[in-house]
Amino acid sequence: MSTVAARRSSVAARRDWAVGYTMVAPVVLGAVVFVVVPLVMVAWYSLHEWNVLAGTFTFVGGENYARMAADPGLRDALLASLWFSIGLVVLNISLALVLAVLLDQRLPGTTTFRTFFFSPVIVSLVAWTIVWSFLLQPEGGINGFLAQVGVAGPNWLRGEATAMIALIVVQVFKNVGLNMILFLAALQGVPEELHEAARLDGAGAWRRFRSITLPLISPTILLVSIITVVGSLEVFAQIDVLTGGGPGSSTTVLVYYLFQQAFRFNEFGYASAISVLLFVIVLALTLLQWQSRRRWVFHEV
Amino acid sequence: MRSDIAVDPAEPAGSAEPSERPGTAPSSGPPAEPEPGPAAVSRRRARARRAWGRGGLVLLLVVLSVPFVFPTWWMATSSLKPMSEILRAVPTIWPQDPSLAAYQDVFALQPFAQQYWNSLYIAAVVTAGTMLVSAMAGYAFARIRFPGANALFLLVLAGLLVPSEVTIVPLFRIVNTLGLIDTHWPLVVIPILGAPSVLATFIMRQFFLGLPGELEDAGRVDGLGRWGIFWHIAFPLSRSALAAVAIFTFLKSWNLYLEPVVYLSTKESFTLPQALTQYVDAYGGPMWNVQLAATTLTVLPVLAVFLVAQKQFVQGLAQTGIKG
Amino acid sequence: MHPQHTPRRTAGIAAVLGTALALTACASGGGSAVGEPETPSDPVDLRMTVWTADETQLAMFQEIADAYVAENPELVSGVTFETIPFEDYTTSLTTQLAGGNAPDLAWILESYAPEFVNSGALADLRPVLADTEGYALDDLLPASTALWEDGEGLYAYPFSNSPFAMFVNTDQISAAEQSDPAELVASDEWTYDAARDIAAATAADSGKEGLVVRDFDYQIWENLATVWGGWGATPWNEDGTQCTFTEPEMVDAMTWFHDAVFDDGAIPGPGTTADFFAGDAAMTITQISRASSLDDSFEWDVVPLPAGPAGQQNVIGQGGIGVFTAGENPDVAADFLAWFTNPENAAKLAAYFPPPRESLLTAETLAAANPKLDADQLQEVVVDGVQDSVTKPAHRNFAQLAQTVRAELDALWREDADVEAVLADTCAAAQPLLEE
Repeated sequence: MSTVAARRSSVAARRDWAVGYTMVAPVVLGAVVFVVVPLVMVAWYSLHEWNVLAGTFTFVGGENYARMAADPGLRDALLASLWFSIGLVVLNISLALVLAVLLDQRLPGTTTFRTFFFSPVIVSLVAWTIVWSFLLQPEGGINGFLAQVGVAGPNWLRGEATAMIALIVVQVFKNVGLNMILFLAALQGVPEELHEAARLDGAGAWRRFRSITLPLISPTILLVSIITVVGSLEVFAQIDVLTGGGPGSSTTVLVYYLFQQAFRFNEFGYASAISVLLFVIVLALTLLQWQSRRRWVFHEV
Repeated sequence: MRSDIAVDPAEPAGSAEPSERPGTAPSSGPPAEPEPGPAAVSRRRARARRAWGRGGLVLLLVVLSVPFVFPTWWMATSSLKPMSEILRAVPTIWPQDPSLAAYQDVFALQPFAQQYWNSLYIAAVVTAGTMLVSAMAGYAFARIRFPGANALFLLVLAGLLVPSEVTIVPLFRIVNTLGLIDTHWPLVVIPILGAPSVLATFIMRQFFLGLPGELEDAGRVDGLGRWGIFWHIAFPLSRSALAAVAIFTFLKSWNLYLEPVVYLSTKESFTLPQALTQYVDAYGGPMWNVQLAATTLTVLPVLAVFLVAQKQFVQGLAQTGIKG
Repeated sequence: MHPQHTPRRTAGIAAVLGTALALTACASGGGSAVGEPETPSDPVDLRMTVWTADETQLAMFQEIADAYVAENPELVSGVTFETIPFEDYTTSLTTQLAGGNAPDLAWILESYAPEFVNSGALADLRPVLADTEGYALDDLLPASTALWEDGEGLYAYPFSNSPFAMFVNTDQISAAEQSDPAELVASDEWTYDAARDIAAATAADSGKEGLVVRDFDYQIWENLATVWGGWGATPWNEDGTQCTFTEPEMVDAMTWFHDAVFDDGAIPGPGTTADFFAGDAAMTITQISRASSLDDSFEWDVVPLPAGPAGQQNVIGQGGIGVFTAGENPDVAADFLAWFTNPENAAKLAAYFPPPRESLLTAETLAAANPKLDADQLQEVVVDGVQDSVTKPAHRNFAQLAQTVRAELDALWREDADVEAVLADTCAAAQPLLEE
């Protein structure tokens, strides 16, 4: 009797497995064909010197990797990426939080403001960047405004530090709306009773935010920061339009450097080696964030 | 779009005094008879202070809105300006001599309507396909225990970590080998199955993880199999998460730039972001007003869809696993 | 799940190996000459990438191509012209090559000419052109073809040879009571110093900008070749092995330019956009073909480039058409190119692109194509401008040089820049790339 039941349940389980495999088959197949195979191909290319124009494809072993280690341009690009990513992630997440908290106050016109903050997300990236390139000119809108309040604005895109700041800010305004919405959703999921209870205990607004809200939305912060960090490493069109990687090489971030090597200098082998590095960096950062979640994320996603 | 159409929990529902929720401010309780005394005075004072504070916050929101709204405003109004006015360093708020000429050029210079259709149908197919595929995978990863599920899920997640620049060359070779260059296939199939759909799968999995098991048991009692449970119970319940997935996916497909540039080569098959860069004069100099007019035409419908659907979007996200 | 995994993995490995095989196969080609096309079993489709999006130009190309198809139905069933935006042109072209999807023919930017010519990616056209009846290969100006040759081989047809010239806004200049550049040309006083003074005074008077070197934008530095030519300066020596940014001619030329920007206010500084054709500047150096951008909103004139301390130097911008050996039918493509650029069709193309053929390079032929310019202007600027002209800087390693030099020169575009030091840094960075 019991063996029959067990067999029946194992048959059911098998059938369940089959359904499971069928349901995940499209994405797993997609991941293999469109992610894993291309990655393996890129790793394979990275062991070659491949000049597209000349049509040469010769095996060079680890030469491209040795070249990476000695390439000052790559070092600069890594540093630029580091600054850009730190600046972007910090500014993006804090602004997104501030906006979400403001929108969570039931102020008049909240829906309108929410739409305003979100609208750049759906504007084409290139158009958005071009508009800002006008505003950031030495005699453009930003400096015109600064002059009104008696400040002589810099030539934003021509100074090394200001160019980086401008890039970060333009990018934050473009995408912070998405993170804001994610945070807003999280904030609205925080039970009001907890706030009420804490308030009765005499906790101030800041205290309540730190001790109740932040821990409760920490899983969202984790997800948002993972997406934002990965996204910050992929910035490309903005740099192409605004600075072209300059002045000097101050805004040549890793992806831009990769793009230059591959499509401008036709060094596909070397570019593939940089791609591998980029993948490893993204993987490492994500694992790091994921591992660290136990320390600061209140409960698991 | 009037703001009150979206029934938003955060929006004061037309009452003269904003109805406060307990968490943010002391509740004033039922409007009881005026109760003289120091407590009432201080409460009134506190309320006045709060009103000022709230006014300040609204002002802050207004100021913060400027860098978000102005570029889009400039884009839309500049499409009505002649070239020389657009290039003026200090931007003008309103065109001095508005003209719709640029909008005529948008359609005269390129098969813009065809390109619009391309973008629209590709985005629609990708969105529908992604919703289905990610819902199935998300459900299976969340609710069905089968051997290797975790390993397969990690394999799929890897797609989240691969910037498109990294794999564009091998993907191009694969597509070229299959003879699908200058067709819309790579723009439809790769986003549905490849890296771009991973986030959607993740969101759906998080949603289904939170689904009460009793619902499935009820379905089983009713004699439904796995597919039946998925189709008749889980899938319909995931409407809000699907809405979030739909908006994410649609926007991503609608704004895709690198891939169409690489895969497509004839004007009739172009998508919008790619078409926008084609409004150039004979020497490659951009025709700003026409580009801006075309861009405005691509932004407005999406903005309108967002305005209509934002309630579902926000609620959708609130009910997915991404919430706190 | 293991049995399920294996075939997939095998398929993946097979895909990778297949790609590698395809790559080694195409690596063996290159550099070969094309000959008389053998009639293919089926007529083929040809594809040419171009950077123009202009409908009338494309319609003209198509008309010429259709005539070829009509004459050679056994060879070709159709020719398509594929527009790639100018900005991404070389990038997109390389992506197609990398993906194994080489076009049959392509326009090639002059700066990349040595790279393409040296790479072996292009077919030698000389045999086909020489054998084509009535082609008159001798008619091509040596100054035009020089950039596209390697030894005896000719790897592209320089279909466009557009001279750089100075456009002036005579309304603004006369309003500022400055001398008319055309008169200075006549009296041999048209120098860079004169141009700078006029530009500075006119800008001060109009409140707009003075002299704009179009498309330079403090990034695309090779466009400054129009200026430093007057000093006899070059970025590198003839065979492209030695950096010459530190030579006295270049130092003088760059010092002049720097001071014209930061001391005299004659040239708008970095980051400022000013469009001459919209009336925002007193004068601009650009290619003559831009005359079509002018409307009647102001009075204008076009004069040759001014003279510098080393005399006057004409500069042209070129575009070439090449045939890719990696394309499917290089023989047929070359045969089509011989048709596309034969004397008769070259005359049609001259409507938009100043031709490399001496017989066509006359004020009369060009007048039909450039109704906005009068015969004197055409003779003075175009006909004389193409003869004994130099092209903009080009190098077989141009992309990397362009990027490296751009990054170094950024230090020059500051008020307090030390010109000599910046140029020394530029050479230090560029020299290794020249030696590669």
